[in-house]
Amino acid sequence: MGQAWLLSGILAAALFAHAPLGQLWPLWLALLALAPLRLALSVRARHTAVGAAQQLGAGLRARLLRGAQALGPYGLRTQASGDLITRLVDGTEAVLAYFARYLPQAASAALIPPLLALFVFPADWLSGLILLLTAPLIPLFMVLAGRAAARASERRYGQLRRLGAAFIEALGGLVTLRQLGAAERFAAHLDGQGEEYRALTMQVLRVAFLSALVLEFFATVSIAVVAVLIGFRLLWGELHLRAGLFVLLLAPEFYLPLRALGGLRHTRMDALAAAQQLSRLDAVGPLRAAAPAGGLRAISDSAPEIRIERIGYVHGGRGAVLSECTLQVPARKVTALVGTSGAGKTTLLSVLLGFAAPYSGHVWVDGVELGELDPAQWRARVAWVPQQAHVFEGTVRENLLLAAPGADTGALQRAAERSGLGAVLERLPQGWETPLGERGLGLSGGELQRLALARALLRERARVWLLDEPTAHLDPASTRAVETMIGAAAATRTVLVVAHRLSAARSADWVAVLREGRVIEQGVPAELARAQGAYAALLQAERP
Amino acid sequence: MKSLLSPALRRLLALLRPYRGWMAGGAALALLAALAAIGLMAVSGWFIAAMALAGAGGLAINYFTPAAAIRAFAILRSGGRYGERLVTHEATLRGLAGLRAWLFRRLIPLAPARLAALRSGELFARLRADVDALEHFYLSVLVPAVVALLSTGAALLLALVVLPLAALPLLLGAVLAGVVLPAWIERRAARAAEQAVRESAALRGMLLDALRGHSELLAWDAVAAHNARIEALAAQLDSRRIRIDRVQAAGSAVVGLLAQLTLLAVLVVGLAAVQRGALAPPQLVMLSLLTLALFEVIAPLGEALAQWRATLLASARVFELADTPPSFTEPSSGTPMPPAYEIAFENAHLRYSPQLPWALEGVDLVLPAGARVAVVGASGAGKSSLLGALLKFYPLQQGRVLFGGQSVQALPGDALRRRIAVIAQQTTLFNLSLLENLLLAAPDASAAAIERAVSLAQLDPFVASLPQGYDTLLGEGGALISGGEARRIAIARALLQDAPVLVLDEPTEGLDARTARDLYAALDAAGRDRTVLLITHRLSGLAELVEEVVVMEAGRVCARMPVAEYLAAEGAR
Repeated sequence: MGQAWLLSGILAAALFAHAPLGQLWPLWLALLALAPLRLALSVRARHTAVGAAQQLGAGLRARLLRGAQALGPYGLRTQASGDLITRLVDGTEAVLAYFARYLPQAASAALIPPLLALFVFPADWLSGLILLLTAPLIPLFMVLAGRAAARASERRYGQLRRLGAAFIEALGGLVTLRQLGAAERFAAHLDGQGEEYRALTMQVLRVAFLSALVLEFFATVSIAVVAVLIGFRLLWGELHLRAGLFVLLLAPEFYLPLRALGGLRHTRMDALAAAQQLSRLDAVGPLRAAAPAGGLRAISDSAPEIRIERIGYVHGGRGAVLSECTLQVPARKVTALVGTSGAGKTTLLSVLLGFAAPYSGHVWVDGVELGELDPAQWRARVAWVPQQAHVFEGTVRENLLLAAPGADTGALQRAAERSGLGAVLERLPQGWETPLGERGLGLSGGELQRLALARALLRERARVWLLDEPTAHLDPASTRAVETMIGAAAATRTVLVVAHRLSAARSADWVAVLREGRVIEQGVPAELARAQGAYAALLQAERP
Repeated sequence: MKSLLSPALRRLLALLRPYRGWMAGGAALALLAALAAIGLMAVSGWFIAAMALAGAGGLAINYFTPAAAIRAFAILRSGGRYGERLVTHEATLRGLAGLRAWLFRRLIPLAPARLAALRSGELFARLRADVDALEHFYLSVLVPAVVALLSTGAALLLALVVLPLAALPLLLGAVLAGVVLPAWIERRAARAAEQAVRESAALRGMLLDALRGHSELLAWDAVAAHNARIEALAAQLDSRRIRIDRVQAAGSAVVGLLAQLTLLAVLVVGLAAVQRGALAPPQLVMLSLLTLALFEVIAPLGEALAQWRATLLASARVFELADTPPSFTEPSSGTPMPPAYEIAFENAHLRYSPQLPWALEGVDLVLPAGARVAVVGASGAGKSSLLGALLKFYPLQQGRVLFGGQSVQALPGDALRRRIAVIAQQTTLFNLSLLENLLLAAPDASAAAIERAVSLAQLDPFVASLPQGYDTLLGEGGALISGGEARRIAIARALLQDAPVLVLDEPTEGLDARTARDLYAALDAAGRDRTVLLITHRLSGLAELVEEVVVMEAGRVCARMPVAEYLAAEGAR
């Protein structure tokens, strides 16, 4: 504004008064001095806004990740990870742009025009009046246009999420798609989704740009009216050139913040849509109830006895997975869990791990209810071999250390030897430092299994072993070695093994047969084999 | 500025050729809007000054023509801006979708042999984030650069006509703000921009780990530690972005400063000319406002170039991936498939990398059409590699694989794989409906064929239990499905494919004995009149499916015998 005033001063003085250039030097100097001030202030303002927004974004991302994790392993499995990542990364960035750019601009739009009007009035009240009357029309139109855009924007964001999920899935399953000869068809499916995204985006942008157009148009027309009125009053001699030029230079500045705000409209729409998706993630509460009123109980250092009492668990939409499930898992013994697929074996392990919260029944650990134990402490006592191990980004060593951060090289070597991973390492080009890829590409099913076993073995303080098919994908010799190792480990531990194949159950001290979510038979394997019960039937089925 | 013409960008432009109509249209509209904005300012300035002078001097003036010009420019500017935005965004979105589709199709022949080193998080980043970064190339660099260049030309031309001396500061200012400053910004932000691209990809990978490996992290009490690593990386990424933003902010402030200085210079030159009488006063006002308007057109260039290196890196990453040569060159289309289905491995040697030991080391194996053979052996004996070579997923280093008497190398891969149905160790299901998942293998399958495959795979009780039957959406990776059910869907899918060769790669791993036994019976029926190749490390319960057993050890076939003989030998041990 100062610049406008000085500039109009120079021009008016020079053109009308025919003042020599030399006489105007104070004005020149002031103009020169104002330029760096404007520079410094604008840079400073942007730094502050961006810094604050980044901080906010970082906090938001961390909170959302925790929100997603609070869904628990079961809840997470129902979410497409590509979609979640789109929400976590792109969604946060959309919200961030809103804070870094839209909000500061909104503040300028609210403050700057009235301030400029204050200075325009003394110079030319008529122009000031025009500016003041037209300015409120702009936000009004923005609100009207914004309502229509918000819905389209949300739909577009939903489509963006689906697109991301479909892509990440297609990449993960590319081999299967090729094998089925379906890669090209799936690519066409992706094209369709991409096209839908484009159409929805354009729908959003059309509205966003339309509101920008309305703003531009109003601003331009108002400036033109101001200019024409100034022109005629200059012609009639009612206005001094300096005041006229000053107002004319200020008029675009008056609308600039509002126009810039209009240009950022889609930032706001994106952020709102993203925030809506994010708040959905944020609103999902954790599965677990809060800590019991009595406080958390410590857990003893020895192998505990686990009593499962009439547990019931329902898996969303699939009916009861466990019902009235009762089982005693003795300390220092190997207990095997057998049964047809879908009988609830893996779910029972999830309950013991605290991943799935049963709706009824109790789990007692050495006489203390599982819910009253400190979950972190309980998990520190548990070593778990999942059915399908996840391979993390990083080397073999890093993958093992995730399970036991403090383990030294000696412990790593021991775990590798006992799990059979040692033989795998010898074949790998960089041994311990071999980077592992997505889903352990480069590792066969058996090698992956050994990695999972080694991770469990590294948790040396664990007194409870929960093993979900530890010998799947292993050849007979490796299977025997692992079974012997498990038997020896049971001397100081409570071991529960899920076994699809009964050979694993045969060497157990105790075997329980699960059917439709409950234990229908249990006993010593050799005795059950002789009886004419469910276990004997399973054995019969496995025989060639 | 040599990097401006890097080969990657030239290829990018070539790829965007189909959209050149949209792209050129967008640029033309942008130019129109920019010229209208400059014209509006210039004419308004001239008009007001002229009116004032006329008023002061009591002269008559024709104010209709300039007033009409102002109106025309105003409409052109607003309308042009709207059209420009719509068309440039349409062009960008079309171009990006085209690029994504192109890249995905380039990836197809690379799986699995060439993609093993990349994680799907990383691939996803390239497919989406890197391709999206290329949006910047057209929208923020190409269009503004063209517009700035041509607008500057027009402004200079006008200045040359009105006051040649004023063109000099104008040219100097434009070059400083439009070329020198963007180049400086590009250099200052280059490192941060490059690192941001890499870190952003790594962040996606780590988030994928956090979500997919959540159970494990939870069991190890490592969630907090992993989250801390994610936050550290994210903080680093944020600091890079702040750095880029600082450079951008400094750049745009300097553009503002340059605009002021250029204006001063134009004024000094212009006022001198006015006093000499070489320039009419209204024309000086016009020149001043022209200068300000021109800088508004040039200003976005600096900010855009802060991301230039990221764009270059993104395009380099995209092309590096797309240029990975597939492990096979496909024969010309229309190469007929042989009518026979005999499979033969001749002295097959395969290894996955020169550092790794041979996965197959001189395998000789003949499977006549209709043979039923089990390949058994310890894990790592080379059983799955046999399948990888047969499906033409991995190339042999030595020897050959024949299908129907012809080397698979010379056969079209897709047609070959259509004749080989596979039930693999890991079942991949897609987040489509159950029906769509089944139809992936055979898009034209009839309802009756589907029913038959489903019942053979013993999937009907499962279908009946689903709330929406065949239309039920399976979660990502079939997450809502138990391991046994997923396997049966895969079996039904393979049955639908109705191929002359059926490969069972550990088909019962993860299934309990009873389900497995039922399944074998069904597979036996399905495998009738087909070549059956069963790959397993455990032979129990297999006898009824196969007639012969091939024993593999360390990449070689070490024995082949009738199944009864094998079972007897096993029993004797």
